[in-house]
Amino acid sequence: MSASIEVRGLSRTFHTTVRRPGFTGTLRSLVNPERVAKHAVSDITFDVSPGELLALLGPNGAGKSTTIKMLTGILTPTAGEARVAGVVPYLERERNARNIGAVFGQRTQLWWDLPVRESFSILRDIYEVPKAEHASRLKEFDDILDLSSFWDTRVRHLSLGQRVRCDLAAALLHDPPVVFLDEPTIGMDVVVKEQVREFLRHQVEQRGRTVLLTTHDMTEVERLAERVVLINHGRLVLDGSLDEIRRTFGSTWQVRATLADAHTDVVPPPGIAVLRQDGPQVVFGPDGPDAPTVHQALKAVIERYEVTGIAIDEADLEDVMRAAYVQAGAA
Amino acid sequence: MAVLHAWRAARVTPLGELHTPPRMTAVLLRLTVQVVLVASLWTGLYAHTGTTAGLTRDQAVTYAVLAVLASRLRELDQYAGRDSVIQHMHYGTIVYWYLRPLPPQRYYALRALGEQLYGFAWALGGYAVALAAGVVEPPRSAAVAGVFALSLLLGQWVLYYIMLVTDQWCFWALRNNAAVMILVFAQNLLSGVYAPLWFFPDWFVTLSAFMPFQATLSVPLSLYIGRIPLSDAAGQLAIQAAWVVILALLTRFLWHRAARRVISQGG
Amino acid sequence: MHAVRIVWRVTRLNFRAQLEYRSEFLLMVAIGAIWQVSVIVFATVLLTRFTGMGGWDSSEVLLIPATRMLAHGLMVLFLGRMFGIGRDIQEGRIDVYLTRPMPVHRQVQLAYFPTNAIGDLTVAAGLMAGALSRSHLDWTAVRISYLIAAIIGGMLLEAALFTALASASLRFPAAEYWARWLEELLGTFGSYPLNVLPKAVGGFLTYALPLAFVAYFPAAVLTGHGHDTGVPYWLAAASPLLGVLVYLASRLLWRRSLAHYAGVNA
Repeated sequence: MSASIEVRGLSRTFHTTVRRPGFTGTLRSLVNPERVAKHAVSDITFDVSPGELLALLGPNGAGKSTTIKMLTGILTPTAGEARVAGVVPYLERERNARNIGAVFGQRTQLWWDLPVRESFSILRDIYEVPKAEHASRLKEFDDILDLSSFWDTRVRHLSLGQRVRCDLAAALLHDPPVVFLDEPTIGMDVVVKEQVREFLRHQVEQRGRTVLLTTHDMTEVERLAERVVLINHGRLVLDGSLDEIRRTFGSTWQVRATLADAHTDVVPPPGIAVLRQDGPQVVFGPDGPDAPTVHQALKAVIERYEVTGIAIDEADLEDVMRAAYVQAGAA
Repeated sequence: MAVLHAWRAARVTPLGELHTPPRMTAVLLRLTVQVVLVASLWTGLYAHTGTTAGLTRDQAVTYAVLAVLASRLRELDQYAGRDSVIQHMHYGTIVYWYLRPLPPQRYYALRALGEQLYGFAWALGGYAVALAAGVVEPPRSAAVAGVFALSLLLGQWVLYYIMLVTDQWCFWALRNNAAVMILVFAQNLLSGVYAPLWFFPDWFVTLSAFMPFQATLSVPLSLYIGRIPLSDAAGQLAIQAAWVVILALLTRFLWHRAARRVISQGG
Repeated sequence: MHAVRIVWRVTRLNFRAQLEYRSEFLLMVAIGAIWQVSVIVFATVLLTRFTGMGGWDSSEVLLIPATRMLAHGLMVLFLGRMFGIGRDIQEGRIDVYLTRPMPVHRQVQLAYFPTNAIGDLTVAAGLMAGALSRSHLDWTAVRISYLIAAIIGGMLLEAALFTALASASLRFPAAEYWARWLEELLGTFGSYPLNVLPKAVGGFLTYALPLAFVAYFPAAVLTGHGHDTGVPYWLAAASPLLGVLVYLASRLLWRRSLAHYAGVNA
């Protein structure tokens, strides 16, 4: 089966003019503007299979939104190629539009002055969805997202959580096989977030939609995504499972040991450093690029010292991502 | 199916208004007060004057009241619905216009059509009341009425394009205050909303003949009150039609460029 | 003193910010100017067409638009930002202002520099010069002082109307709709001797929407038409004072409305 989303060597460069400081600088910029090229996305390649949920991760300004905009057909790439459900989005925007649904963070596509249901009806007619199909899908969405309690309210009076739920529904009403979500749960409370996650899981597992999601919420990634693509400075850093990311960047373990003799002179094994020491309490951490894994370190500590207690703290995903962003940024 | 989405897009504005009764009350009040004020002002001005600038008192009052009614056609609170180009650019929601299988230019046109039809209902209601109250004169003949209707249609068409140009301007400049204000000004002055163009000096009338604004209101209203005789109507209608064609081509070109800009900048 | 320094500093920064967008800046100045030129063209057109309007000769009538426009220009320059308050409310800027240690009203005024006021004022000053040079009145110190007081009073009165509307917008955002109408009404009906209108309409523009006090009544007092304005002479003569009082009242209303401000989504 061919991929739902195929991305091959996708690149996007923006040209901006820099303003020189001062009055003469302003004049010079007017006559001879200095143009600077910014490589928002460079040479990115990945695939997403049908029915897969992929999280596109990276720090702010890494090029996530630019990538999504190219895949939705809003932006044309400067090099490379992309296909979404077999369509080149930026060449056949309208054909692509029927295959995709999209939510861009807090930006709403609903009509501000109208009750939400009217917005749904407008979209139904724009996407030419048959009435019965529309009704049954709306019912399905309502069951999970609990829309009916506020869908007769005008959009301007909705809370953020209500509005984003409606926006999600609006993006999926025409049954698109591919869905793009750019930080869909930003600024929402935990209850709504969980509702949205359940909705997305349902859409992927039961309806077989392909979802490309960007988020900064690592809990969300852990709950939803089996595979992640990590980009930084517009380049692809890693494409793999969460475990792979943990293995690559998750060396920030800590081993907390309580020594039997508080006066032991602590000389750690190679590749291991003492992070803190408070009497018999010693915290070990990795040291340098050749640091052992947490399990090797555990073994080394027990072999070298007499310990009365020992515990491991594996870094959580947030720490892993922090390490990944910093390391990938330095690379 | 195309009819369905046309209907949906067109009724966005009327529906928004119907869901906000205070807005409709406001329109009614404003329209009433404005008509009364304008009618009494022109009656007052003519108190010691017979015919001036080729207009009698009744003609001038009729012109002024019709101008108030006609300027209602698309003078709603454009920003209340957050569906104006400048707001979509500001909030970054313009991307959704380009994510739907409905071309943005068609969506825009359908929205405008609905808005104009809604405004027309108001204007027509106001006209009926004004006619019954004897504030405005009826058209002098069926022929005048027919030519007026045609000319009004062309005028509204020209007006649609003028407003479209100011909206399209937002794709390039994040601010369009200056452009909109210039256009509102030009529209009000040169189309004869403030005072019939016939009152202005000759140089002014000549100047405005080269611009599209008088085609929106001054021409149809002058036809209605008989200041432009039926014998000259064909020429005036042709000029209006010419403006429709010219502006249609211009705005088509601008939509094309706007789409290219969105696609190169990402909205 | 501290407040004055901040106001001056922010205003200077705002002005420089406006200069950054040069074309927009020049365009706005130009708009202010042509807008008012159009009013002049309109007024002179009517003056030549309808001589003896309301029993006034044309040099006297000219004093009305001149006073009104000068007052309007000053209002835009000093107190004009109340006009766009609806947007500040919708975008939550009022909420931000409320967290800062400066009166909200002042922060709204300092939001940006009103470039179009430059054009407005230039043309208004020109029109006033024209009106004064054509005038047959004897411009004594008393008359000149009264004219200045009238302009300031007119400015305050117009500012009061917009402040009252802005106060209403704080609680009912739709009230902004009326601001545009108000400006239109002031522009169209503020430039005539209002005794050409039927009594009821003139009364409406005196007591319901006190537009007559901005320029018509002061001009009537100055030109000796003060006894046939349809209101007692003392009331017409007290127009500048009325401007001050109404403005103070509007600020009080603003304070009270702000205390009841409930935010955008409430």
